[in-house]
Amino acid sequence: MLGWTGHILRVNLTDKTHKKESFTEEFARTWVGGRGFAAKILYDELQPGVDALGPDNKLVVALGPISGIPAPNTGKTVVAAKSPLTGFYGDGNLGTRVTEQLRKAGYDALIVEGKAERPTMLYIEDDRVEFLPADEVWGKGTFATNDWIYGKYGKGVGVLNIGQAGENLARYAVIRSMEGRSGGRPGMGAVMGSKLLKAIVVKGTIPIPQADPQGMKAAGTGDLKEVHKMDKDSGWSRQGTTGVLAWCNEVAGLPVQNFRKTSHPEAWKIDGERLEKARVATYGCPTCTMRCGIAIHDKEGHESELDYENIGLLGSNLNVFDLDQVGSLNYLCDDYGLDTMSAGCTLSFYADAIEHGATTGDFRFGDAERAKELLRLAAHREGKLGDLLADGSLRMARAFGHGSEAYAMQVKGLEVAAYNCKFIPGMALAFGVSPIGAHHREAWIITFEINQTTRDSYGPEKAAKVIELQRIRGGLFEYIVSCRFPWIELGWSVDNYPKYFNLVTGLDWTLDDMWKVADRVYALIKLHYIREFPNATRKDDYPPAVWFDPGNADTEGPIANKYLEADKYDQLLQHYYDGRGYDDRGIPTKATLGKLGLSREAEAAAKYATLT
Amino acid sequence: MKVTVKLIGPLIYAAGFSEKELALSGPATAGELLARVNVGKNRPTIITCNGKAVSPLDVLVDGDRLVISPIYSGG
Repeated sequence: MLGWTGHILRVNLTDKTHKKESFTEEFARTWVGGRGFAAKILYDELQPGVDALGPDNKLVVALGPISGIPAPNTGKTVVAAKSPLTGFYGDGNLGTRVTEQLRKAGYDALIVEGKAERPTMLYIEDDRVEFLPADEVWGKGTFATNDWIYGKYGKGVGVLNIGQAGENLARYAVIRSMEGRSGGRPGMGAVMGSKLLKAIVVKGTIPIPQADPQGMKAAGTGDLKEVHKMDKDSGWSRQGTTGVLAWCNEVAGLPVQNFRKTSHPEAWKIDGERLEKARVATYGCPTCTMRCGIAIHDKEGHESELDYENIGLLGSNLNVFDLDQVGSLNYLCDDYGLDTMSAGCTLSFYADAIEHGATTGDFRFGDAERAKELLRLAAHREGKLGDLLADGSLRMARAFGHGSEAYAMQVKGLEVAAYNCKFIPGMALAFGVSPIGAHHREAWIITFEINQTTRDSYGPEKAAKVIELQRIRGGLFEYIVSCRFPWIELGWSVDNYPKYFNLVTGLDWTLDDMWKVADRVYALIKLHYIREFPNATRKDDYPPAVWFDPGNADTEGPIANKYLEADKYDQLLQHYYDGRGYDDRGIPTKATLGKLGLSREAEAAAKYATLT
Repeated sequence: MKVTVKLIGPLIYAAGFSEKELALSGPATAGELLARVNVGKNRPTIITCNGKAVSPLDVLVDGDRLVISPIYSGG
């Protein structure tokens, strides 16, 4: 079984034991790696109803067959667990040296079980596993923790760590790595915190098994140079992801004031052009030549690494149009280990709820200084307000009542990314049917929707495009575990990925083989969902209700008086279900599950919920 | 007739400006205006006029705001 190490490391923090387990070739070919491995392991090993913040939840760190091998942007790692934010399977990816080091240590995945007695750092070096005290950094932010680890082991090791937000079980705490990478939006950092696991450090010395190492080396290094050239020729990394902010502002797609507005005359103050001019440093993930992390000095003088989502949700969405202050809010999220996107949406919801009389408080849109204080309260769960903020916008809305859930900008509990879909039906669908909640990673169809379709359309072409993108973005790139940016931003052909896969595994897969795995992984995540929520309905796949509200429509600009129409959205949703072979609740039918080779998993789900 | 042209992301560095008003002597299409702005040969772009997508054949009118962007794919 070349391409995979064939091993998973299982660590139990309760009794400080570890075990090197083998997996079969069938498992490898069925699930490939990353999100596929994580979804399958958690499906088989977690009982529905398990407390996401209890010792019985498990954290999975998973890699794919090309992980850690030099080729365009293969430095990503998937982190997954039952989410304390959404209540079912959650995951995320982040660039980290763990990718290469864990593979070189001889593992394709790590499973962390149980709960430590005291703050712990897990140290893995090949077959050696140590449970080390981390009391010295418990209570410290991710930057200080990272430095502490580098001080002990040098910068070559792989590191995953959490900040105060994870320690205090903020439901949207992320896992952090290196100088600026974050992953696991649906609270993977809180799962680490619940286990008193402050950090994971990995060092490996064993070559990664490959079917054709010379061929892979030639292809990988040559393609890295080619992608680098494509980036330089296009100029993409001058602004990185932040270039899209000005465009969203022009086409009425920017989140402003908790998504109440779709553009703002001061948006230029925080756009990619201003960021590029303020740049003081650039960061990237391992094996990446695009380096999209653009750092500026924030208001307090810290280096703060920004991307579009951070600026959109901590900037325009809070009516903060001061780039230094946006940098400060971003820095605090990164140091505390809070997801910048959920943090931005939760704060904007709070300000909106105060404006609409659902609660009382002193936070107003545009008040960056108070926002900093609120982030501190959330990360430390300080007081009643800190507790509310740490629970995310949906739980906060349910606590406030007064119909405020309509403008809690989330789907299935996960806050929406920085695209205002007040009148972008296809992207609203993409948020609605994202398998883990409103993540932009799964399918981003806005330019297709605006450029190649009628914006008012709710037709099957949009549902088909969402499925096509899900297969590539949330499927292929998440289970093979590679960054999607060379493909999405530079046009690097997706055909390259089966090429890499075949070189390392010796198999002869086509993209069609890849899509089948992608569909299998999506279907399994839906089974996670129905197992946890047996009374699920298609309404669970609706975006925030405020986007359907005529009273929320823009009064001027390109989408004046436009809003999502509920009956038409429902038709669009049905097109998606039909394309996927899902029933009218959005759950894969038995026939679909059978075609995807998931009959055994369907039987397991049928103990808890009805399948059709 | 005057038209405002706004460029997005890396097109700014290719063309050497971010936003400017252009005076046109007569009727022009979006495609003709794109040809006057050096954003790089054969680079795929998306053109919007007053916030709505337009084709290169669409005729511009006085006061239009034309936005030319690379085809972003959303992070």
